[in-house]
Amino acid sequence: MWALAWRNVWRHKTRSLVACGAVAAAVAFTLVFFGFVEATKTGMFEVLTSDSGHLQITSSRAEGAPDFDSRLIRHAAQVEAALLQELRDVQLRRVLEVPALISGETRARGALVVGMAHDDALGERFARKHVAAGRLPAPGSWDEIALGEALARALQVELGDPIYVFAPGTEGWGAAAYTLVGLLDFPQTSYEIQVAYLSLEGAQVLAAPGAVTRLEVHLSPGRGVPADTLIEETKARAAAVLGPDVRVQTWREAAPDMAAMLDMMDPGMTIFACLIFVLAGLLVVNTIYLSLVERIREFGVMIALGADRWRVMRMVLAESLVLVLAGTAAGLLVGGALIAGWADGFRMPGLDEVLAEFGLPVVLYPSVTPVQVAVTIAYAVFTALAAALWPAWVAGRLQPVEAMRHVA
Amino acid sequence: MKPILRAVRLTKVYENEGVKTPALQGVDLEVAPGEFTAVAGPSGSGKSTLLHILGCLDTPTAGETWLGERRTDQLDDVARAHLRLREIGFVFQAYNLIPVLTVLENAAFVLELQGVPKKVRHERAMAALEALGIADLAHRRPNQLSGGQQQRVAVARALAAEPRVVLADEPTANLDSKTGLALIELMKKLNAERGVTFLFSTHDPRLLAHVKRIIRLEDGRVVADERVDAA
Ligand SMILES: Nc1ncnc2c1ncn2[C@@H]1O[C@H](COP(=O)(O)OP(=O)(O)OP(=O)(O)O)[C@@H](O)[C@H]1O
Ligand SMILES: [Mg+2]
Repeated sequence: MWALAWRNVWRHKTRSLVACGAVAAAVAFTLVFFGFVEATKTGMFEVLTSDSGHLQITSSRAEGAPDFDSRLIRHAAQVEAALLQELRDVQLRRVLEVPALISGETRARGALVVGMAHDDALGERFARKHVAAGRLPAPGSWDEIALGEALARALQVELGDPIYVFAPGTEGWGAAAYTLVGLLDFPQTSYEIQVAYLSLEGAQVLAAPGAVTRLEVHLSPGRGVPADTLIEETKARAAAVLGPDVRVQTWREAAPDMAAMLDMMDPGMTIFACLIFVLAGLLVVNTIYLSLVERIREFGVMIALGADRWRVMRMVLAESLVLVLAGTAAGLLVGGALIAGWADGFRMPGLDEVLAEFGLPVVLYPSVTPVQVAVTIAYAVFTALAAALWPAWVAGRLQPVEAMRHVA
Repeated sequence: MKPILRAVRLTKVYENEGVKTPALQGVDLEVAPGEFTAVAGPSGSGKSTLLHILGCLDTPTAGETWLGERRTDQLDDVARAHLRLREIGFVFQAYNLIPVLTVLENAAFVLELQGVPKKVRHERAMAALEALGIADLAHRRPNQLSGGQQQRVAVARALAAEPRVVLADEPTANLDSKTGLALIELMKKLNAERGVTFLFSTHDPRLLAHVKRIIRLEDGRVVADERVDAA
């Protein structure tokens, strides 16, 4: 039966090749899509969480009161201790953000001064990603500063130049002088042009001794994307020990737009794949139906010889399956080859800046899981069956005498 | 002997867009096992219609048909397909073979539909091809054969499954008369050697000299039923 189906499919080479090619394209497309959606999700997640943590702890007074004082968590050391006692296997970053005026020898700008202290792994990752020249201020240092490259350009300063920071109305010295030790690169220019980094201690003596504005909790860094359930559970535990003075947010709550976008990707992908397969399926329907119509007489003979309705329907389904599976095999090869070729990293030519500006990952590492391959094949098989349904029904209802008399 | 094929007051009226065409008007007929019978008659006399209904390819408007002990005129599509597959061999006028299959595969096709394993069915098909003298063509495709060879493959296909009766609607119509005659002689030989029951239709008077029984149809009625002992 399969041999017969195979030979019948290739009776009309061009037409079958077109349908086969459509299926192959659909399969390859879907596979590549799967690869990229997965890569984009992982990439976006990275972008979203690597500089802000899976959980963020902020002052509960900060909501709706953007002034510096309300944003402070004053008893930072206690909060941190309580947190570390409850959560093990996490890494912390402590951040104190201070709005300030920053100036070089000749020019000044409003800026956001960020004091930052973190576990080594986080610090290394931050430096790897963002240090364009020089280094980050040494931990605990009171007189070193790093600037966003764009900000340094705006201030017309270079490494080694003195930098002055004024943070009036705060609780520390309120003003200090630093040496520029590093230039930092950030994807978003709007951020790069307003940001300056100190050590946490440096920022604290400047503006708010012992306080932070944010604690970031990073879960098991370097071990892939943590599950939402794990994040939620950790949040609940953290919130329970920390009490009402602070607010604990997941990255989803901190960046709801991006989280929603991530959540849209899977359904979006499914709909897109379905559309592609519907289009390919229409070509398959066309091919199978035409080949039925051309061979009505032949079907008539087979029915006359004793092939019953179910047998005839199976023959039509078999042809559709053969056609689609041939296309699927080709599509898997092509899709697999493309993904393998891009597995070391794929960049949209010329779009790096644009993607980064929107907070999207610039380099994607597409890969597919066996489950996704299986799902793709399932799509194809379903398409084959659905496409053959109508022709099979028609063939199954042929009457032998009429069919044999049929003039194509 | 009990008849293998029987028609009782068989009537068939075709109706197309309100126009009624009577094709059979009360045909009574019995065919005994082992008979070699021709249905003769002018064009439009109802030969094909009669064979189709006897062969469970079509249903009568009224009357009964029997295949051996079994009444067949009221069976549904699937049951009729099953009977055709198991009990009846068919040879049609033309366009009879499946072009993508080899001669051997064509001859084995009915056996394949019956679910006979490949090895066995190829043996039986090969034996049938040998009986028809075309074993050497086994691996050709139908379009590489002459019309006479194609019809012999069709007969081999009908015989390979060893049906109780072989029905052939104008098997020689597309052949020149010499080839047609050779085919009829072959069928006759198989009838004599194996006792296969043949019922075929023709409007070629020259072939009628070679059969044992002629049923003459005119306007859907049996006008004569002759037994020719000398044949
Ligand atoms: N499907 C049909 N619809 C309407 N009328 C039909 C149909 N098939 C056959 N007929 C009519 O029934 C009558 C008998 O036709 P049938 O084909 O049985 O004759 P036949 O003896 O086989 O003729 P021929 O020698 O030309 O093959 C004819 O008048 C024919 O026109
Ligand atoms: Mg006829």
